[in-house]
Amino acid sequence: MELTVAATDERQADARVVESCQQGDREAFRLLFETHKDKVYSIALYFFGGDAALASDITQQVFLKLFTRIGQFRRQSEFTTWLYRLTTNTCIDEQRRRRRFTPLPETQAAPPVPHATLPAAEARFMQLEIADSVRDAIATLKPKLRIAILLKYFEELSYEEIAEVLDCSKGTVASRLHRGHSILAERLGHLRANVFSGD
Amino acid sequence: MFGQQHVRKQLTAYAHGELAAAESARVAAHLGACARCRAEFEKIAHGIRLLENLSPQAAPVNMWESIEAALAEASLESFQSGQAERPSQGDAREADTRRAGLPGNLRPGDLLSGVLRSIGLRPVRLMGWRPALAAGLILLFVLGAGGASWFYLRETGASWEVARLAGAPSIDAGRIGQTGRLRIGEWLETDAGSRAQIKVADIGQVEIDPGTRIRLVETRETEHRLELARGRMHANIYAPPRLFFVDTPSAVAADLGCAYTLEVDDEGSSVLHVTAGWVAFETKDRESMVPAGAACRTQPGVGPGTPYFEDASKLFLDSLAKFDFAGGGREALRLVVAEARARDTLTLWHLLARVAGEERAGVYERLAALAPPPAGVTRDGVLLLDPAMLSAWKAQMEALWLA
Repeated sequence: MELTVAATDERQADARVVESCQQGDREAFRLLFETHKDKVYSIALYFFGGDAALASDITQQVFLKLFTRIGQFRRQSEFTTWLYRLTTNTCIDEQRRRRRFTPLPETQAAPPVPHATLPAAEARFMQLEIADSVRDAIATLKPKLRIAILLKYFEELSYEEIAEVLDCSKGTVASRLHRGHSILAERLGHLRANVFSGD
Repeated sequence: MFGQQHVRKQLTAYAHGELAAAESARVAAHLGACARCRAEFEKIAHGIRLLENLSPQAAPVNMWESIEAALAEASLESFQSGQAERPSQGDAREADTRRAGLPGNLRPGDLLSGVLRSIGLRPVRLMGWRPALAAGLILLFVLGAGGASWFYLRETGASWEVARLAGAPSIDAGRIGQTGRLRIGEWLETDAGSRAQIKVADIGQVEIDPGTRIRLVETRETEHRLELARGRMHANIYAPPRLFFVDTPSAVAADLGCAYTLEVDDEGSSVLHVTAGWVAFETKDRESMVPAGAACRTQPGVGPGTPYFEDASKLFLDSLAKFDFAGGGREALRLVVAEARARDTLTLWHLLARVAGEERAGVYERLAALAPPPAGVTRDGVLLLDPAMLSAWKAQMEALWLA
């Protein structure tokens, strides 16, 4: 219930800020940017396998597009749906553009290291390495599987919300997420004995 | 596990709590009894645990400054283009004051924004001025921008930027240099050695191949429209659905958030290939919904044909072309239905509303065999073209079409 109320408050706050942006209020632009920048940046960062410079560039592109088109936003859908759609399209366009020149490298699976044998500092280091492995594995997914995964885990969107962002059915979202998870589970199977084993 | 259907494909949605209660209970019961599905579930759960441990990363701290500078630049460019590329004192002062970082919470800035918006330019919020100075500058802007907008609209009207990619593209028979402006009503043409790119307002771009003739019909906040008389264009649009349209001699392509190629031959026939998202290819009384990977033809006097996936069999494609445009009739339809694969349910679903009687029943039977209808969608309802049932069935089949 609290979550629902919080989400509603957030939507109402977004709506007010968007309205101010549509009036040309530069402070509102900044507020909107500060509210959403980390999520947009994280999606771009994970979409492009940890390339921070590219993620920054994508984030800037997304917000520039957003601010220059904010007058077109009709409030027929959630603002965040539109924002994530812009983010998705910008990432996929960039991926398409880049694919002509530099394909993303395939990730090599790291050899398994049993967690129990590591001292604390090394365990932390191991966690970071695992996070890197997960990020690299995500980057090898097909773009449409990758973006569904990122919207699910960074934005915590429901299947219905993801379907709206990607302009497809809930069934398609379910299918893409399932394929994405299956592939990741296969590729990251060597990590099962490590820190995220649920203990 | 004889007699029970495995639940592998539902496992991710089950773990995410996205299944309906009854379906979720069925999956849970099945997992209790089926070791294979349980092993699969453990694998999926492992993937979910890894992903749930990902944490959002903070964007670099100085990013806003770059965005603000780019926004100011964009606004300045808008303003300068409004002055018909002849900077005035007002322009220079506006640029200088903005660069100097002037003004505060200004209501006057809002007024200025309103003025800029009213003449179709992007507003800039100015901050921290003293009231007297602000009032003086506002007056200057009102006069300057008003005059500039009058001059701009009188001289140019709304227009899009065109960039030369190769050869010598022309606008209304006049060759452009590296760039040009395409105004409402004007034709952009490329000869056999020319290519060009059009910036579609601020919602995307269109590339024009050699031998193309295209006209800007309309551009306003709620609608941007081109007319493709002949040749080929590639559109990449980021706008909300149904904001960008392309008229062809026999149908209109309505963008639903997508990328596509559209080609018109000398007879006015068109073919649409969608590479991302969806495009609606439509006339007044017929609509074809074309997803990524699919194509659709159209002919003058007929309108949009039935959409199809281009990797279908040759016999399927030839028969569909005969059925749509060459009076192929029942025999062509029979071959289309017989040759259809699961993915070709895209074509069969569209055919339901384009045939009647026994033919519709035949299409239904094949469709139901390839993609059984979901609960609540009945044979009788589909044969009566119940919109809700057709829509529900389509939603289910989209997983096949977009896979």
